[in-house]
Amino acid sequence: MTARILIIEDEALVAMELRFVLEDLGHEVVATAGDARTARNLVKEMEVDLALVDIHLSDGPTGIDLGRDIAREDGVTVLYMTANPGMVRDGVAGTIGVLSKPTDERAVQQAVEYALRRRVGEPVQYAPPELQIFG
Amino acid sequence: MRPVTLSNINERHPGGWNERDRVAALRAYGVLHTAPEAEFDDIVALAARICEAPTALISLVDSDFQWFKARVGLDACETGRDVSFCDHAMRETDIMVVPDATKDPRFSDNALVTGDLGIRFYAGAPLLSAEGLPLGALCIIDYRPRPEGLTDLQRQTLTVLARQVISQLELRRALAQRAESQDTARRALLASEYVGAWDWDIVNDRVVADERFARMYGLDPEMAVRGAAIGHFMGAIHADDAKRVNEDIQRAMNGDGVFASEYRLVVEGEPERWVVARGQVYYGPDGAPEHFPGISVDVTERKAMDANLAQASAALAESEARFRAIADSMPQMAWSTLPDGFHDYYNARWYEFTGVAAGSTDGEGWAAIFHPEDQPRAWALWTHSLETGDLYEIEYRLRRADGVYRWTLGRATPIRDEAGAIIRWFGTCTDIDDLKRVEQNKELLSQELSHRIKNIFAVVSALIALSAREYPEAKAFASAVRNRIGALARAHEFVRPHSEVSRPTVGNMTLHAFLEALFRPYADDAGAPRVVVDGDDALFDDQAATSVALLFHELATNAAKYGALSEHKGRVALNTRLAEDRFILTWTEQGGPTVAGAPTHAGFGSSLATVSVEGQLGGTLERFWRPGGLVVVADLPATALSRRRAAEKSANRHLA
Repeated sequence: MTARILIIEDEALVAMELRFVLEDLGHEVVATAGDARTARNLVKEMEVDLALVDIHLSDGPTGIDLGRDIAREDGVTVLYMTANPGMVRDGVAGTIGVLSKPTDERAVQQAVEYALRRRVGEPVQYAPPELQIFG
Repeated sequence: MRPVTLSNINERHPGGWNERDRVAALRAYGVLHTAPEAEFDDIVALAARICEAPTALISLVDSDFQWFKARVGLDACETGRDVSFCDHAMRETDIMVVPDATKDPRFSDNALVTGDLGIRFYAGAPLLSAEGLPLGALCIIDYRPRPEGLTDLQRQTLTVLARQVISQLELRRALAQRAESQDTARRALLASEYVGAWDWDIVNDRVVADERFARMYGLDPEMAVRGAAIGHFMGAIHADDAKRVNEDIQRAMNGDGVFASEYRLVVEGEPERWVVARGQVYYGPDGAPEHFPGISVDVTERKAMDANLAQASAALAESEARFRAIADSMPQMAWSTLPDGFHDYYNARWYEFTGVAAGSTDGEGWAAIFHPEDQPRAWALWTHSLETGDLYEIEYRLRRADGVYRWTLGRATPIRDEAGAIIRWFGTCTDIDDLKRVEQNKELLSQELSHRIKNIFAVVSALIALSAREYPEAKAFASAVRNRIGALARAHEFVRPHSEVSRPTVGNMTLHAFLEALFRPYADDAGAPRVVVDGDDALFDDQAATSVALLFHELATNAAKYGALSEHKGRVALNTRLAEDRFILTWTEQGGPTVAGAPTHAGFGSSLATVSVEGQLGGTLERFWRPGGLVVVADLPATALSRRRAAEKSANRHLA
């Protein structure tokens, strides 16, 4: 399946590469946001199925609350992507899980597939080992 | 006759006295059961003669007997009180006359009347003490009745003589008291070697002094006992004191009456003496000084002790002053406690820093200046030190005068006496807040850096991927590089400094934990690992991280491409073993395609691995191309993985 994906990442190069990877997989990257405020505005303005959220953004470690909020308020499926997975050690309610950076394309692909299946309620199957799922 | 009993001993008689006081007064004269004395004998003799009576008595009535101090015409010197006529007489205000005892209901059945003695006539004058307490009576007795009683002369005589008896008793008592006090004084002087006594007859200028006094003043004792002019004695007084002593004497004589002086005596052949002299001037009827007795006490030794004491006190005060000077100029706060932990001293720095009122943190008041979160810990540690004598050392936050809490290092050591018991604790508080902030900042900086490094790995990896898109023919190359970088990044995760939040969720930062993370992508569909790690775990530091990452990345990648991991059921067993001073890692592939034999030329990857193990880690790497699967053995020095720690240990050993 394909989805409308929002990339929330402040390192432009990393975001750019991620965009290419997702587009190669056939998904539509609706936008890239580097800070929480921009991200929240974007989510209000457009339809987003899945958000890949980094924890450390340009306005500080605002990614955790951001992910929780857009999952709860806007029905976005949230996957955290971070070099510091310890910060969401205990999970974040309403979100899928966390991917550790740096990742490879395969891990991203599998994680996105897993998240999208969960979004539409399909039975959970193989989850990539790099994805730490919130219980 | 109404007997006296204990029950009426306090009863008030019409005269206002009670028996208890009466008996006490009598006994105070100290005359009962004493030998006869001429003064009293004379009185009864005269009484008997004037009254023309065969018997006259001075009777003193005690609680249950009467005793005769003087008597004529009677053998007995004592009778029971119950038969005493005088007991009645003494209660009267005037002479009691009994003309005929047989006809007097008070005495008609008295044994002395009815018995052999046969008393018929009695006349007794009461003996009353100065306070009016009845003591007994002066009486005359006849053995034939005298209805005519006494003549006026006889009455007057008895009355006067009764008063005489009392006077004699009083005189006797006064003399006895004086003798006693003189005796006491004399005994005291005798007992003391250091007291000499003098008596100065001012009018005739003659000083009589005892032997001790004479010796003190360097005079011939015989001359002193005989008496000498005062000038002879004054000569012994120290020249510097003479004027003052003269003034003291003059002052006493001129009206003070009391003489008190302290001076030195200088006598040839004797060490200098200090004496304290006390005397009393007595004046004649014309008001001129007549008589000046006194004593001189040798206080030389005491004065020496006083001097020593003064010296020791001064030395102590100086030592304390020096201590305080040091303590108050120290840059640190200092304090001291009793063995039980009661704080009784703080130096100036403490009060400056905390701004508390002097004395307000004595005892246990210090605890309130500590940060509330640190108080329980400080209490526990301090209590432990007090109980065990262990050195006290703790970092805590102390409230400064402006309310700001500053990190402080508190340290204390016990002071012991010769027996080893703790007599005091001395401690210091050093402000380490700046230091701690620097530490904390370094810590933060370090974490910040490490986070950025991790980020840079991600950026570099992204850059490579982006670059590869530009050069599609380089896609495979880019992928290989990105994977190697990924392995590096993951290895560094395990060696970089971490805060609580950044610490990997795996928990342990060891070789096995890293390997498990590294091989996670190769897990099977069920999530079970396909590279199984077992054996001795090890810590590895940043120096070895690159090598470890590259080695296992290569092994895994190759296994995934050509070896066991390229097939569904292929597995790898990775065993790590510590064997004395070597660390051996054995990689065994199985279940993959049959191995034909060693490849004809080493791939670049295997070169990287070899360089890592043999160059960086200083070990050996061997490959065994078994038909069942590749086996690779890396043999490293045990310190290779943690070279930094090994170096530290060895340096410390040299220091120790």
